[in-house]
Amino acid sequence: MNTSRFFLAGILCVNLLGVAALPQATVNQVALVKQSSIVFAGTVSQLGATSFAGVPKSAQTVVVRVDSVLKKPSAVSLKKGDNVTVELKDPSAFQQGRQATFYTEGWIFGSGVAVKELGHEFRSGTGEASKAAGADERAYQQAQDRISDQDLQDRLNAADFVVIGRVTNVHRWNAPKSATTRVSEHDPDWHEAVVEVQSVLKGGQVKGNKVVVRFPGRNDVAWVHSPKLEKNQQGIFCLNRDQATGVPTEKVGGRQVAVYTCLGHGDSLPMSDAPRVRALLKN
Amino acid sequence: MKALGAFWLRFLTIAAFVMTAGFVFVRGQSSGIKVVDLIPASLSGETNQDSEPFLAVQAVNPQIMVASAFTPNPFSASGNAPVYISEDGGATWVLSAITPVQRMTCDITHAMPTGENHPRGDLHAGTLACAASITLDESESNDVSASAIMNVQSTRSNVDQPFVRALGISNSDHIYVGLNDFNQPNGHTATVDVSVDGGATYKSVPIEARNTAGQDGPSVRPAVAGDNTVYAAFFGWRKFNGTVATSDVVVVRDDAGATGPLPFQALKDPSDKLPGRLVVKRVSIPWSNAPTLGQERIGSTLSIAVDPNNSSIVYVGWADHGNKGDIYTLHVRRSTDRGVTWSKSDLPHTTIRNATNIALAVANNGTVGLLYQQLSGGRWVSHIVQSRDAFATIQDVILANVPANVPAEQFLPYLGDYDYLLAVGNEFRGVFCANNTPDLANFPQGVTYQRATNFGTKTLTDGSGNSVAISIDPFYFSVPVKP
Repeated sequence: MNTSRFFLAGILCVNLLGVAALPQATVNQVALVKQSSIVFAGTVSQLGATSFAGVPKSAQTVVVRVDSVLKKPSAVSLKKGDNVTVELKDPSAFQQGRQATFYTEGWIFGSGVAVKELGHEFRSGTGEASKAAGADERAYQQAQDRISDQDLQDRLNAADFVVIGRVTNVHRWNAPKSATTRVSEHDPDWHEAVVEVQSVLKGGQVKGNKVVVRFPGRNDVAWVHSPKLEKNQQGIFCLNRDQATGVPTEKVGGRQVAVYTCLGHGDSLPMSDAPRVRALLKN
Repeated sequence: MKALGAFWLRFLTIAAFVMTAGFVFVRGQSSGIKVVDLIPASLSGETNQDSEPFLAVQAVNPQIMVASAFTPNPFSASGNAPVYISEDGGATWVLSAITPVQRMTCDITHAMPTGENHPRGDLHAGTLACAASITLDESESNDVSASAIMNVQSTRSNVDQPFVRALGISNSDHIYVGLNDFNQPNGHTATVDVSVDGGATYKSVPIEARNTAGQDGPSVRPAVAGDNTVYAAFFGWRKFNGTVATSDVVVVRDDAGATGPLPFQALKDPSDKLPGRLVVKRVSIPWSNAPTLGQERIGSTLSIAVDPNNSSIVYVGWADHGNKGDIYTLHVRRSTDRGVTWSKSDLPHTTIRNATNIALAVANNGTVGLLYQQLSGGRWVSHIVQSRDAFATIQDVILANVPANVPAEQFLPYLGDYDYLLAVGNEFRGVFCANNTPDLANFPQGVTYQRATNFGTKTLTDGSGNSVAISIDPFYFSVPVKP
């Protein structure tokens, strides 16, 4: 375990105990972790250089030897000892041999990894690390859970309507003849689900306690991440007013009602996410 | 006796090894054929279905190339969709997130003419964004290695399958984007977006002149010759019942780069005197947006290629139902009089059963290349065929022969609604997608992987020794043009 990792873990552990009580700088570090796709501790080995062909070299690029990897997508190959090209925001703060934790986003992927710095934290190499001994992996996992919360918060904010309910019926939706239909390999093959609403978490009351939800039934590349609702499915549904099918209302029980769509990855959530969704909606 | 037996055993083992090594070397190297898996080493852990490949080669410096596939941004759902870039003639590739589309495109094609004289640039792309409303961006990059996001020059919605071709003429890039434009009136949806100022402005030119079944087929394919002749091929859908399109294969031509007031009207069919020559009439084309040919969907594969030095010679290829019992059959026809008349039947060796992803190109010496993928014996077999005599005699090279049942499809298209072939000097260069099992038996011409592999165990690894599931990868290839 290297010191920077302990140091970072310590910061994260403290943050997870209560962000509100912390100084602004620490809160910013949590924000950086959320923002970053790749976080690692490393030692600057070359200035104004790159670690592999295909990355544009500039005064802002440095090569950093990885001491430990704290966060990365599973597809990315990155491990201790690898050389990473980092495009720094302010290269004047770095010299060869300088150790830091780099908060970054991906940039170019080739025989190696190149990233753009979002922030950094110089490593002191002092006893601060010991405060968090043994806790870094858990702390980081918790931190990553919070990142999922952030994604979910964004989705909840964008939804017109968030409900807990059960799907009582699913059928293919045949657009009325007046609607424009086109044949394309990206044809969504619209399906309709009737969702019996058990509680409304966001949005107005539902007359009759049922909403009509359209979703793409097609497994085309354009819709691969859209939820495919199934009869008797119970869960949380993030819905938007239908702006996709061209027919935004439908007659249900003699009444013309608004129709909703469920299109995005994460628009259909399991019931186990209910406490988290409720908590986020209170924010 | 025992010692003698051991000697012969060792001798035969060594001999077999030398022969095998020599065989691999000869097959992979001395033939001059190059096959490269595009996934970079630093993404060895990826398991995406990186289907539907495309390729652009920089016209002046063919060491610079851009390839694409349905590859998502590897680090961010909100980041830009990436492309693969090579600066060494295809030996190595990097992934750089420069397209204007978020995360992953749902269609992308591109071309790299050099009218504007940018040494690593003039990449012009047509991309569709995956969203509730599918939107087309027509965009450009003046330096693909600078990693800057492409500049969007034109945006519009309600279109399908943009297909970009381009040519640098008099310090300006002429760009032709074939697309199925649902905004066109009267169901005349086959369209070419034309720009003669490097993409600064586009003019949408409908190229369908006949009644349709409410629309044309998705594939609209331009081809540009050096003398400013532009052809385009499309499927003129005359009837559509949901599972079969009754379609004409139509070719239009323009002799002045589509710059005149009435573009693409140079060819008229003798049957009705309308613009657009009917190469074949009312063929049945199966339309299935579900796994049908193996795990692949079918419905619209089309290609057109013009001789770069003799624009009178033009080839067109497509797939239709074919004979009873067939699923999807490829055909190639040729015109030697600027599209006025066409071969009455398929050229020899070009009626190919149960195949898709047809791509044609013509080299400087007149050799025609034909890339396709055929489902045969439970395997996807990727062929590159060359001919100097309109396919009377052919050289057929198998680039990949991989299992068709694995991996399971993540979405459609499984391999792609198209692949691509280009002629560059004395090479045919192209891209196709295939199962990425690192098994030399699957790649008869040899193969190079950038991502971490273990050819001994025929497995992929993540670079740290952990195994990675088999998936669909894009492969670049280069094959010497038949002299």
